[in-house]
Amino acid sequence: MKPWVAAILYAVLSAITFVVCFPLLWAISTSLKPKDEIFRWPPTLWPENITFEAYHELLFGSSVASAPGAGVAPSAYFLTWFGNSIIVSVGSTIISITVATLAAYSLTRFRFWGQRAVPYIAILGYMVPSVIFVFPMFLTMVSLDLTDTLFSLILGYVCITLPFCLWLMWAFFRGVPIEIEEAALVDGASRLQVFRQIVLPVALPGIIAASIFSLIVSWNDYLFGRVFMNTMENLPLTVGVMHFFDGTHVDWALMMASSVLMTLPMAILFGFMQRHLVAGFGAGAVKG
Amino acid sequence: MKFRLSDRQVGVLFMLPLIIAVAVFLVWPIAEAVRMSFVRYNPLRPDDQPFVGLDNYLFVLEDPLFWESFWQAIVWTGWSTVMQALIGVGLAMLLHQPLKGMNAFRGLLLFPYIVPTVVIALNWRWLFNSEIGIVNHLLMSVGVIDERIAWLSTPTMAMTSAILLNVWKYTPFVVIVVLARLQTIPTELYDAAKVDGAGAFRRFRDITLPQLAEVLAVVIVFRTIWTFNKFEEIYLLTRGGPGTSTYNLALYAFDQSIANLRMGVGAAAGVIMLLLLLVGSMVYIRVSGFGREDKAV
Repeated sequence: MKPWVAAILYAVLSAITFVVCFPLLWAISTSLKPKDEIFRWPPTLWPENITFEAYHELLFGSSVASAPGAGVAPSAYFLTWFGNSIIVSVGSTIISITVATLAAYSLTRFRFWGQRAVPYIAILGYMVPSVIFVFPMFLTMVSLDLTDTLFSLILGYVCITLPFCLWLMWAFFRGVPIEIEEAALVDGASRLQVFRQIVLPVALPGIIAASIFSLIVSWNDYLFGRVFMNTMENLPLTVGVMHFFDGTHVDWALMMASSVLMTLPMAILFGFMQRHLVAGFGAGAVKG
Repeated sequence: MKFRLSDRQVGVLFMLPLIIAVAVFLVWPIAEAVRMSFVRYNPLRPDDQPFVGLDNYLFVLEDPLFWESFWQAIVWTGWSTVMQALIGVGLAMLLHQPLKGMNAFRGLLLFPYIVPTVVIALNWRWLFNSEIGIVNHLLMSVGVIDERIAWLSTPTMAMTSAILLNVWKYTPFVVIVVLARLQTIPTELYDAAKVDGAGAFRRFRDITLPQLAEVLAVVIVFRTIWTFNKFEEIYLLTRGGPGTSTYNLALYAFDQSIANLRMGVGAAAGVIMLLLLLVGSMVYIRVSGFGREDKAV
């Protein structure tokens, strides 16, 4: 490539990247501004006086005594919500991945009548709007007396994570060579031994990739949490932070600080998975 | 482990959790939603569910808000999908160039896809704030506009902001898929075309586009369906407002179920969405001939 072509490409890419990243950069900038600077016009691009007030309120707010009679500020729940989100994301991911991995192994190594129909039905779940799932699930949770529990949310997220976990794991297992397993079987190992000691280690990259997808999807969901949960202590992060709009005025620094903190775990996971992202989509979401 | 299972038993045993999960978490809720669409269902009186036949469907089809939501859903889906496809292919082409440090660009440009919708909605409300939002400030200082635009409180601008949000978040999906496909196009094709004297545009038109056609067809179907179904992106940004000007069918169904406590009507709206998607996909498959190769095999 000629150097001037490369230079133009770099310039174009940098400009696009800046525009794409701008909303998040602006969130970081806003989260570090003191209250009076936020409402200044024209706005300052980078805070003149950096303050970590908003982060402090979110992370240590529960220890600050609120004014008597004022009730507890929503920001005091931030860490609880954060914990809830971790529990439900990890919980639903464990269920979906376990189910999907076992089934994907069965689908690529065995044949029996009606076996193929199951994953295709699951994948149809991809197409169905969440608003269809959420209310029957919710009413069932009501009749089982499970509403407002983290467990109900874990089960709800299986609805949205299972189809693509299955799709990804299935695609992954199709690419795992079967010869080593056969050799081990000939040597007298049982199927379950083969699965535990040979198949699982080989499938680990696929399991990691699908887990990260699943974690992201359940971490980001709003609808199920909004419908299933009521009590402030039990909300997932996504539903909780929307309560910051409840008051009479909006604290934008607090809002943007929670945006940043909420994106951070996903950004870290994303760093790990970047390689898998392209590979996973190539093999999984769309065939060929 | 002492006892030995036959291969067949292992196979069935490993499938069993999936069969149960699919039945409980996918098939059953859909079946239940279909049942609910034929009864009057007030969640405050769960024991009283009289069968009402097609009443819920008639209610939906006679509701002006349903039709308003329907047309707005088409606008929302159409613009979002077209922009995602065009920008997505363009970006993927750029990111496919053999340049040093390309991985960093790829990472940053794919990043929006994993940002929680709530975060994007919060950021959008702040960016597009009519009083002190940075977007108005930038547009004014560049001279594109003279007065502040009330982004989220005028119908057209609210829809525009929602579509921009959707395009920002989901274009990376198109980029990822197209990029993966670009990497599998044999370079010999391009070398041969260069030898024949084909320019960059002709190489794009005659080699890249046909190679991408199949994957693009799939991506566009998926994006259309998913965008049509989207709830959170609009609900969190505008709550369907101002008025009802950004309602789509998902918001309509949600509103009937939660705000109006008409679970049956909400379910009927959901089922209608599903039928629309089904019919739409079938028409698309007919028109585009997509999937025909599968049948030949």
